[in-house]
Amino acid sequence: MTGRKGAKPTPRRRGNAVEIPPGAYPVFGAADAAQLMSALRNPTIAANVARVIESKADEMRAAALAHIDRLNAAAQLADIGAIFEQAHEIRGLAGNAGLAATGRIANGLCRYLDAVGRAHLDAERSLVTLHLEAIARAAHAEDEATRLGDTVANELANLVEKKLAEINLSARR
Amino acid sequence: MAPTARHGKHAKAGCWDPVAKGLGWGTMSGATFGYLKALVVEDNVHMRTLLRSLLTALGMKHVYEAANGTDAFELLREKRPDLVLSDLTMKPMDGIAFTRQVRLSENSPNPYVPIIMITGHTERHKVEAARDAGVTEFLAKPITAQNLFLRIAEVVERPRPYVRCAEYFGPDRRRRTEEDYGGPRRRHDDFGNDMETK
Repeated sequence: MTGRKGAKPTPRRRGNAVEIPPGAYPVFGAADAAQLMSALRNPTIAANVARVIESKADEMRAAALAHIDRLNAAAQLADIGAIFEQAHEIRGLAGNAGLAATGRIANGLCRYLDAVGRAHLDAERSLVTLHLEAIARAAHAEDEATRLGDTVANELANLVEKKLAEINLSARR
Repeated sequence: MAPTARHGKHAKAGCWDPVAKGLGWGTMSGATFGYLKALVVEDNVHMRTLLRSLLTALGMKHVYEAANGTDAFELLREKRPDLVLSDLTMKPMDGIAFTRQVRLSENSPNPYVPIIMITGHTERHKVEAARDAGVTEFLAKPITAQNLFLRIAEVVERPRPYVRCAEYFGPDRRRRTEEDYGGPRRRHDDFGNDMETK
């Protein structure tokens, strides 16, 4: 793995740093690694894992939709911190909930809110509202990816990129 | 491998002696695959359950769960997992602070434990902070069997050297050497294992 074959790996100095090679610190033993790699390469196990992911999709979708309700409640209170938190939960769940476009839109909202927060700016209400409406519509669309979601997600992503560029520019001045 | 007189309580005192921390030298728990232990750190109960189910489907019988970094550190001390899967954004302690504590705290039971950080749609500055805290690998959402397996395989098959310097302790952050790269080498340490640096 590292060093000469048969030689026990030992830490060594590299400039101002010390490099500690695998084996000089605890790593997976050969037997563990072989068994684990065998499991990782087993198509039956891979299929089982894929089935587990698929079987959880409805649960993830229900959870994502519940967070959308909380997102809208946070918006009613104009609570930007809570809006970010809920949008973050949605983007985390969406991919495994079959709501890819919803996740992308929620991600755009998070990126925007993160950027304005770091720049100590106020979020534009209209941009936040656009995202909230798009998230709700995309998540409830029958075929969210093809009918509505992707197009809207792309448009909003472009808008967010422009806003981020403006924020970066103003931060440099 | 069992500890010898050169290691463990007979080794020179130092906060990075894994044997003194109850670990074998050179390998992890020494148990067979079925006894390997994983820790899932995720504040979202649905995602946490999913990750636990995936590791169980993979054949891991000992999967522990924590909802934040604080609880995870306690479980790390108590259960001594061989692998950690952690979310990035959590409260009160997020994945970055948790990783930093695992790597740097004198109370850390295993500063070398592989930490796979689950990201996805995540702000770049947070991913960079996680890398600089000492994360081993990143697993992007949505979680797929292939991505999960690839990341686990990476830490099992190709463990990275750890680097300790004034500003950092954790897995080597440099890109791995491309074996089919035929271009010029640019730094003295590009020679990797061929060259000992005194």
